[in-house]
Amino acid sequence: MSSVANDSVGDLGRHVPALSSALRPHPLDELREWGGSPLVRGKRVLDLGCGDGRLALGVARFATRVEGIDPDPAAVAAAKRNARKAGVRNVRFTAGAAQHLPYPDAAFDLVILSWTL
Amino acid sequence: MVDALVEVHRVLAPGGILVDARPDSRVPAYAERRKPRGFQRYGVVNTSRLELANDRASDRAISLVVREGLFKRTRGGRFWHRVPFSDLAELRKYLWEHLRFVHRAEWVVGVATRKHHANDQFVIRRAVRYELLEALPSRI
Repeated sequence: MSSVANDSVGDLGRHVPALSSALRPHPLDELREWGGSPLVRGKRVLDLGCGDGRLALGVARFATRVEGIDPDPAAVAAAKRNARKAGVRNVRFTAGAAQHLPYPDAAFDLVILSWTL
Repeated sequence: MVDALVEVHRVLAPGGILVDARPDSRVPAYAERRKPRGFQRYGVVNTSRLELANDRASDRAISLVVREGLFKRTRGGRFWHRVPFSDLAELRKYLWEHLRFVHRAEWVVGVATRKHHANDQFVIRRAVRYELLEALPSRI
């Protein structure tokens, strides 16, 4: 498995500004295309490259718990503001890199890379 | 990218699902004018060379982790998404500033037509692809 890890070809989220999420599809539209709410319902979800929390907050109503992580601290701050504004309680946002996720093994049932990879 | 996908595999419970969704650069995007009913194609918007290379790198990364037995492809598809603009100038500004696309559309209508409808609403219609991958139990 380490041979896979060593073959890094770039950084996630380097070229797409995280705060451009207003121009992306509505989270529920995206979720519907992927298979709808059953994909998320009752699950522990990680939104990797969460930006301003567009998708994490959009799917939070179905999930048990949602974690959002993004390398851009400004985007994470915006996500936290948006969560407070929306009154969403089961979402937590963290600044961090995808290559070193601050979560234990097998912590999630669903990981979303939306416009990230 | 691959090391990030290995991290994703680590934090996913066996049988957990990874969703990879991103713009589909294998097909062009379109600049369209909004009409009372429907849309009229005004131009083709190609993906920048840099982003095409990034997308191919992402594809290779996914293929590698599938080949290595970390994930199994379960389902995928594509849908279209429209980004709205209040007029043609706003669309052009977006293209000029946006890193994913080339900075100018290849127009399929003449200058006179573009000028005539410059204040109409426009959209960029682009394809979004997605894939669901199941995390397989670690072999170590």
